[in-house]
Amino acid sequence: MSFNQGQPTNDFEKMKQDLDKALKMIGPFLIILFLVIGTYTSFYTVEPDEEAVVIRLGKFTGTNTPGLHFKIPLGVDEVIKVKTKRVLQEEFGFRTASTSRRVTSYRDGKDMDVESLMLTGDLNVADVEWAVQYRIADPFKYIFQVAEPIQTVRDVSESIMRRVVGDRSVSETLTTGKVEIETTAQELMQLVLNKYDIGIQIISVKLQDVNPPQVVKASFNEVNEAKQEQEKAINEAEGAYNKVIPEARGKADKQISQAEGFSIELVNRAQGNVAKFEEILKEYQRAPQITKKRIYLETMESLYKSFDDITIIDTKIKGVLPVYNGQLTGGGK
Amino acid sequence: MSKFPLVVIVILATLMIGKNSLFVLDEGRQAIITEFGKPVGTPVTQAGLHFKTPFVQDVRYVDKRMLSWDGYPNQIPTKDKKFIRVDTTARFKVVDALKFIQTVRNTSGAKARIDTVLDSATRNVISSHNLVEAVRDSNAIIEKINSNEKSTDVNDINEEITGDIEEVLVGREKLSQLIVEKADAELREFGIELIDVQLRRISYEKTVEQKVYERMISERKRIAAKIRSIGEGEKAKIEGRLEKDLRLITSEAYKQSQKIKGQAEAKASAIYAKVFSKDPTFYEFMRSMDAYKTAIKKDTKLILSSDSEFLKFMR
Repeated sequence: MSFNQGQPTNDFEKMKQDLDKALKMIGPFLIILFLVIGTYTSFYTVEPDEEAVVIRLGKFTGTNTPGLHFKIPLGVDEVIKVKTKRVLQEEFGFRTASTSRRVTSYRDGKDMDVESLMLTGDLNVADVEWAVQYRIADPFKYIFQVAEPIQTVRDVSESIMRRVVGDRSVSETLTTGKVEIETTAQELMQLVLNKYDIGIQIISVKLQDVNPPQVVKASFNEVNEAKQEQEKAINEAEGAYNKVIPEARGKADKQISQAEGFSIELVNRAQGNVAKFEEILKEYQRAPQITKKRIYLETMESLYKSFDDITIIDTKIKGVLPVYNGQLTGGGK
Repeated sequence: MSKFPLVVIVILATLMIGKNSLFVLDEGRQAIITEFGKPVGTPVTQAGLHFKTPFVQDVRYVDKRMLSWDGYPNQIPTKDKKFIRVDTTARFKVVDALKFIQTVRNTSGAKARIDTVLDSATRNVISSHNLVEAVRDSNAIIEKINSNEKSTDVNDINEEITGDIEEVLVGREKLSQLIVEKADAELREFGIELIDVQLRRISYEKTVEQKVYERMISERKRIAAKIRSIGEGEKAKIEGRLEKDLRLITSEAYKQSQKIKGQAEAKASAIYAKVFSKDPTFYEFMRSMDAYKTAIKKDTKLILSSDSEFLKFMR
């Protein structure tokens, strides 16, 4: 305003006054701004899956749990947040390529053979793929005790896995020994990492695909086929056995039962016949002559009456027999 | 008015001196104070705020953390002349920052020294031991075979191990330790402490690998043949058992039924004998009468003599 009135000597004074005035006005504003920024930068939040490592002038003072915390601003306190609850995974011999699709896809190329091919105790080669899950148990140690924590985990895991597989045969590695390999590897890895004191806790070691090397795979399959064939042969033989033997047992039982039936019949008949004889005998003993005669005559009567063809020959007539010669020798009836 | 610049100068000077006489040592680091390039005092290892003489002294920082060294895979023949590739890694720490700065300056310089020292130590140790010593850590596998041999179960063929399993005298972990022992003394000269050496990967040379694969294939084929033949053997055993059991069952049944029948006949004849012997002639008569009735068929041509008892009264 005064500038417009055009008074140069006063102009400078006026400007100074204006500046002072402006400063007086801006001053409190600046202080407030400073306070706001100061307050804003002196608080920080720690997420539920994190822990915060607090460094005051380069020195570690402690860790903070999830929540809102205060720190000295202006670079005095430095806060490093570490995801301590999160489970981290390192993969060996394969890489998870994508988890976005419904089915997780893996990459498992020839370039990873160097990680997964290992010597077994019987000096064979096995292709072992595995994953290690771990957690940062002590964030301070994780950050400040070791330069390359992840590489260290990888190095130790590869070495330990080879040591564990190196003490087992290829068959055991491929088939029965998997669970044992996992637990042993986990224990040994933890031991080594504890020695390093780098604040890492191994949650699990999980074997993924464990295969013979590609070139020998076919021959391993052949062994499996042979096992199938073996089982098939045994099953077939057992089947035949089970088909024949129970039937034979049944037939044997039948034969014995028949013999028993025969035996009972025979004895009963004997007893029947005997009883009948005894009854007749009683009668006979009372009047032997008469009874005998009667029986004889009755028998002959019933016998002869049923014949169609009876010839009676007087003993005084001679030479009758030749008449029958032809019929007796030829017919046979 | 005239005081204002002076105040500013004093403040700036204090700040500069302060900045130059104080330094922050971060966690995971250690510091050496040098005076015109010459190290003075002992290295500072405690993290925090520290003092030094301004302008005269300088601070040089060295890593205090555990560092990794990754070796280049070496082709080494073992004592039993097997060519293998050995890939080692190691972990180390700077324990004498002063020596470290004087001899190797920094971490990459250190790694170059470790390369040479560990390479030769590894080569030395590996080539003076058999292959199995680098592969296996114990004789657990031999113990397993021995215990398997005791239980001679046909189905335990899974555990089939072929060839001689050589006994381990030293073992993988011990080899690592031997390498550490050999290398540690030399690395101490650089202010480095070797924490451990890990035999990360041991693999066959490409040419050897092919032969190993061939051996594995023939071994598997042999096992497969054995499994098959065991199967056939089991089958034959069962078939034999079938034949035997079948004959046993049928002959046993025959034997028993014959015996039962014999006993029955014996019993029946005892019954007959006991009663019929009361009057043998009457029995003979009665039995003959019965026999005539049943034995002489109806259509038989019968020629009777008039002498017959039956025709007595016809004469």
